[in-house]
Amino acid sequence: MLQVIASIWQKYGYVYIQGAWGTVYIAVLTVVFGTILGTLLTFVRLSRSKILQNIIKAYVWVLRGTPALLQIYFFYFFVPKYIPFEMSERACIILALVVNASAYVEEVIRAGIEAVDRGQTEAARSLGMTPRHTMFRITMPQAIKNILPALGNEFIVMIKEASLASIFFIVEITSAFKTVQSATFITIPALMISGAEYLLLTTLLSQLMKLVEKRLKRNDSRQ
Amino acid sequence: MIHGNNEIIRVTDLHKSFGSLQVLAGVSQTVYEGEVISIIGPSGSGKSTFLRCLNLLERPDSGSILFKGEEVTGKRYPIDAYRQKIGMVFQHFNVFPHLKVIDNITISPRLEKKMDRKKAEQMAEDLLNRVGLFDKRDEYPTRLSGGQKQRLAIVRALAMEPQVMLFDEPTSALDPEMVKEVLDVISELAQGGMTTLVVTHEMGFAKQVSDRVLFIDEGRIMEEGTPKDVFENPKSERCRDFLNKVLF
Repeated sequence: MLQVIASIWQKYGYVYIQGAWGTVYIAVLTVVFGTILGTLLTFVRLSRSKILQNIIKAYVWVLRGTPALLQIYFFYFFVPKYIPFEMSERACIILALVVNASAYVEEVIRAGIEAVDRGQTEAARSLGMTPRHTMFRITMPQAIKNILPALGNEFIVMIKEASLASIFFIVEITSAFKTVQSATFITIPALMISGAEYLLLTTLLSQLMKLVEKRLKRNDSRQ
Repeated sequence: MIHGNNEIIRVTDLHKSFGSLQVLAGVSQTVYEGEVISIIGPSGSGKSTFLRCLNLLERPDSGSILFKGEEVTGKRYPIDAYRQKIGMVFQHFNVFPHLKVIDNITISPRLEKKMDRKKAEQMAEDLLNRVGLFDKRDEYPTRLSGGQKQRLAIVRALAMEPQVMLFDEPTSALDPEMVKEVLDVISELAQGGMTTLVVTHEMGFAKQVSDRVLFIDEGRIMEEGTPKDVFENPKSERCRDFLNKVLF
């Protein structure tokens, strides 16, 4: 087995490396824009307007209640038809992944904020602090500790969900497997190389998240 | 304990319900500048809700609250500026765990009164000295005992230079040996002329420091008067019952 894997890697290594870059590209964009969009959605959800709250609730309801693959199909077929400018297949898929990720990020951040003791908000407001100052100076700094670990898990999910792009033959790790498999008709060893690449990426990411969390803990001695 | 006749808060016919549960069933009361008022009563009687309505942490369903003659329950009333004048201390301290002791005190004057750091820290240090916490200046609150946390919470509120202080069961969450250090700070403050309302189960304290005692039950003020009146000669059956059940 190891020999087969080695020889596949020798011949098709570049396919896997290209695939890895593809996955990293998709995942980084999804993580960055998914987090930004999700954070914005959280603030809208926490606003006082009942209408806005319900819009976000419905958004999250739909995106968490339907498969990511279905959402990708939707963006793949729907978006290019109705926008005035050209959009690549890959861009459509990344957009779908970003929108999908934002719903999960919104839930993670909101849960993290809501887990902060209500007494903290009450104390801040009783001092005459404005809602904005209360959120950014009192609640958020405490919520970060709840949010980061859960957000790390979401990031790992995002890396793995990039594999859905393989259905549309966008270059990434699972597509690399498909390419090699159809060229060589060797399945399991080809699959294992893709699997190892995913493990490498997700392990690197979780180590990075651990480092960030540790840093955060060291910066305050409160535990 | 001397106070003039300047009324500072006038509450009229306050009602508040949580769902189908009526917590305040028409509370009226006038508080004068410099007065020290203890609020006693069984748990669930509405005394905390009454206190929380005074700085609008709870919005009353109906009734009026006048602060120095100004109605504060209106939707457009500048609530943050109002709360700066009403300090509040909670049962569970609610100190900010992510900020050092000194920053717990300075954060609100710096943010909301635009006080510069130096001036704010100077003031905070004076306050810490006053309650014997100066040596904890740069600690995080997790390093403090319950009594120390509550003293910190008190000076944090004082940093906004409030005109009224509200204490919501300030010693109920404390270990017994820490109750006195907190009550001493409150007494000192009260004797210094601060208008003070305390919801408390410490009857000895209520007897000692208050000008007036309110007994609240079922969302109404059932009895009020000097500590002597209320504790030694309660008129209502309910108040007598209650006082018979609690220890002094």
